[in-house]
Amino acid sequence: MIGVLATELLKARRSRVPEVTALAFTVVALVGGLFMFILQDRERARSIGLLGAKASLAGGAADWPTYLSFLAQSTAVGGMIVFGLVEIWTFGREFGQHTVKDLLALPTPRVTIVAAKFVVVALWCLLLTAQLLVLGLLIGTVLHLPGWSADEVLTGLLRAGAVALMTVLLTTPVAFAACVGRGYLPGVGAMIAAVFCAQIVAALGYGRYFPWSVPALCSGLAGPGQPPPGALGVVLVVLTGAAGAVGTALWWRQADHDR
Amino acid sequence: MVIVASGLTKRYGEVVAVDDVSLRIAAGEVYALLGLNGAGKTTAIRMLLGMVRPTGGSVTVLGTEIRPGAHGVWSRVGYLVETPAAYPDLTVVENLTVAARLRGLRGRRQVDDVVERLRLTQYARNRARTLSLGNAQRLGLAKALLHRPELLILDEPANGLDPAGVAEIRDLLLELSRGQGVTVLLSSHILTEVARLATRIGVIDRGRLVREIAAADLAGHVRRRLSVSVRDRAAAEKALRAAGFDVSRGEGDQVVLTDPRAIGEPEVVAGVLVAAGCPPYRLAVDQDDLETFFLRVVEP
Repeated sequence: MIGVLATELLKARRSRVPEVTALAFTVVALVGGLFMFILQDRERARSIGLLGAKASLAGGAADWPTYLSFLAQSTAVGGMIVFGLVEIWTFGREFGQHTVKDLLALPTPRVTIVAAKFVVVALWCLLLTAQLLVLGLLIGTVLHLPGWSADEVLTGLLRAGAVALMTVLLTTPVAFAACVGRGYLPGVGAMIAAVFCAQIVAALGYGRYFPWSVPALCSGLAGPGQPPPGALGVVLVVLTGAAGAVGTALWWRQADHDR
Repeated sequence: MVIVASGLTKRYGEVVAVDDVSLRIAAGEVYALLGLNGAGKTTAIRMLLGMVRPTGGSVTVLGTEIRPGAHGVWSRVGYLVETPAAYPDLTVVENLTVAARLRGLRGRRQVDDVVERLRLTQYARNRARTLSLGNAQRLGLAKALLHRPELLILDEPANGLDPAGVAEIRDLLLELSRGQGVTVLLSSHILTEVARLATRIGVIDRGRLVREIAAADLAGHVRRRLSVSVRDRAAAEKALRAAGFDVSRGEGDQVVLTDPRAIGEPEVVAGVLVAAGCPPYRLAVDQDDLETFFLRVVEP
């Protein structure tokens, strides 16, 4: 397994995708910081117009709880897109670049290769989350945000981490779609469908029963009116993640690889 | 037997890609599956490699029945399926290192050896995306040979190579087969290459293995003829007939002889024509192309 993990890490490291995803999450942290900067001075926020109005949607207060909540919400929604793209790229590239045929008749079981890919995706996404949170702490410190309390900040960071973990789990069906569709586009389609449906279902008030809405609800994106997803929501997320991973592994093992 | 396939069949709905193919390939053989594009060669090879599940029949490779999850046997098999693929962002050496790790090989020795053997040394640090088609094919072959397999399964191994590359790969495969006892199963649509390399040839057409021919008997199935281009065809025909040759008309100003004596000794034909005052300006022994060969072998 270590050797297979090393090959997956090498393939990821040699591409531009890690840099692009790191840049995307850097932009998220900076945009959050910009909102806080604007909200620190309401007069300046109003004079900026549209940007000021958008910034007020983040809760309207420039303090640590608001900023950490923004980061958790960004992980839920932006994470589904960025983590989904990482998943699609990791699996879809083998089909797009026709390298999958070199992975099918090896002494290493196909399931081990699939598992190594999922491990690398999970590590990659959790590193991105860590980068976002570290940057967030730095930006919040530079802005001298009020409301610092060790408990409050720890809770905010743990919540963002838990949301990231759930979001990573929810991307495994996207990998399944990329494999069954043998390329990037089916994965992208599945990811867009998941994000779109999550918004609709959450807006209808059934978000806690729909796995892809659960991270956003946990992050507080739906606002105080929505009940938290609870244990059922978390169980649904874990089951969805497991189903995606097992389905992908079974597909690699059993399907006809005729292209 | 290294490969035993019994009644191998693959259907996609109404389409039968491979139809009841049975093969027995012994150790040290170079077996060529010869067929036109779309004949079912690649599907048959993918079934032998466990990539495609047969609709009917069974395959045993090196004594192991091929089924999902049977992966131990692949440490003894090297393969190349269709056009070679490589990770474009990785260098040649990195691509081979990935293949080596997935095969459980440790260290750099095997990678360095195969790079040298396939003459990829000067491209070793180049990214795969910059390789020519011929060098990409060499990289694909290098991945197949990396672990010194007992059995090589190669789908169109000469694709994309220039004539020198084709000869080089042919020599390499002959050396592996004759020198090291490696069994080779390859597919091709190039009759001349197959004739020079294979010990046995299986002709596959519309999914069916229609004929198996020992390479030694191939000459009896491939029609050859001597084409002679002359300025005065009528005089040439008269002179050749007078010398006892069967003559027929070819295209343009060509005279065609299928007589084995003429094919074996074209200088005798040239001598007859020179003596008759109509010297040839071109003499060539032509061989059937694959399509013509097929028409004769497939449709008796």
